[in-house]
Amino acid sequence: VKSPKLPPQIVRLVLLTFAIVGTYAVARVLLTPETFGEFGHYRGVALKELASRQPTYAGAKACTECHEDKVTRLAKGDHKTIACETCHGPGRKHADDPDEKPPKGGNSLCLRCHEANPARPAFLKQVTTKDHFEGRCAECHVAHQPKEVP
Amino acid sequence: MKSPLSRRRLLQGLGGAFGWLVAQPAARAAKQAVQKVFVSTLAPKDYDPTKHKWLMCIDVDRCIGCGSCVEACKTENRVPQASSYFRTWIERYIIKKPRRGTDELRGEVVVDSPNGGRDGSPPSLVPRDEILKAFFVPKLCNLCEHSPCTQACPVGATFDAPDGAVLIDPIYCIGCGFCIQACPYGCRFFNPETHTADKCSLCYHRITRGLKPACVEVCPTQARIFGDLKHPLPEHDPIQEFIHKNKVFTIKPHLGTDPRLLYANLDKEVR
Repeated sequence: VKSPKLPPQIVRLVLLTFAIVGTYAVARVLLTPETFGEFGHYRGVALKELASRQPTYAGAKACTECHEDKVTRLAKGDHKTIACETCHGPGRKHADDPDEKPPKGGNSLCLRCHEANPARPAFLKQVTTKDHFEGRCAECHVAHQPKEVP
Repeated sequence: MKSPLSRRRLLQGLGGAFGWLVAQPAARAAKQAVQKVFVSTLAPKDYDPTKHKWLMCIDVDRCIGCGSCVEACKTENRVPQASSYFRTWIERYIIKKPRRGTDELRGEVVVDSPNGGRDGSPPSLVPRDEILKAFFVPKLCNLCEHSPCTQACPVGATFDAPDGAVLIDPIYCIGCGFCIQACPYGCRFFNPETHTADKCSLCYHRITRGLKPACVEVCPTQARIFGDLKHPLPEHDPIQEFIHKNKVFTIKPHLGTDPRLLYANLDKEVR
């Protein structure tokens, strides 16, 4: 008995379907990155790539390692909530190499917070510079101990 | 007629296929080993993203608008210095007194953010005696539980990391800008240097090392508090204390984004 033969147009259609699905499967395997889908619809390794940057601000712990005396003194005054790097600037370079000086200091830093402004909350001591004093803040105030007089 | 598929050719083909199958796992293992050397050496090794859930709280009443956070963020994350690119910025809300003779509760609301608040807050144009109240609102990524930006991304370049940060894979981002339009909080921008979308990453390279985000680190009044929902500190967890002490709000709650950026003492004018 002769087995029934598929019509050639059906055979071509089946072959074409296999070719398309096959190409898609191969492309998918080859083009999907290694860690895609590790946590969700994205490259899992992207998390590590983003985490691999080095910080610029060293963090309070790094400052305490060498300047413990200053940190403990600061913690007693009204400026206790302020981190070293708020005023002295990003300190990682300085923490890695103590010869590299931290970048900032000066009047503008004081006024950044203490210049009077109606939007500032009342708990903060505020001055209008031109009514208050035109010289250097440090002439009358100690930045680390705002209640002390130099 | 000779068959096009001779025994020799068939064997060759089968041999080749077998060789390919054997070689593939080896090649994959080699690739992984190479990737480990080049990719993850600088990344902190003991950080497991599934064991954390980060969030941030902001006390509006404590923000003094000094702009230290904005400056620190730009430095830490190499955000372009021009005044239209910010991962975090400070808005100043000024609510005027109601006009005389009207029955309004509050007057006009003026919102500005000169240079994103980076240089502190210059005197406002509204005279002091016309101001009913004024305050600063720091803004950044709202850490949505259901983030619209992630849903809008056509290539899987932006995603909700298991630890709650909404991040951008800069290699996958094609810079189409859909996510920038999708964010209801305006927290995304197109970075002209990397040619990708950019946003607050919660200082991902810092929090994975046990440091605080740069903005939290430098905030002089502790207006910003950063914490982990999966690892509350045993005593005096700052986040729990914050939620216990304050009335806590989120911005645009009606959108159903369920932000993990919580604000205390927020006025209804803030949007």
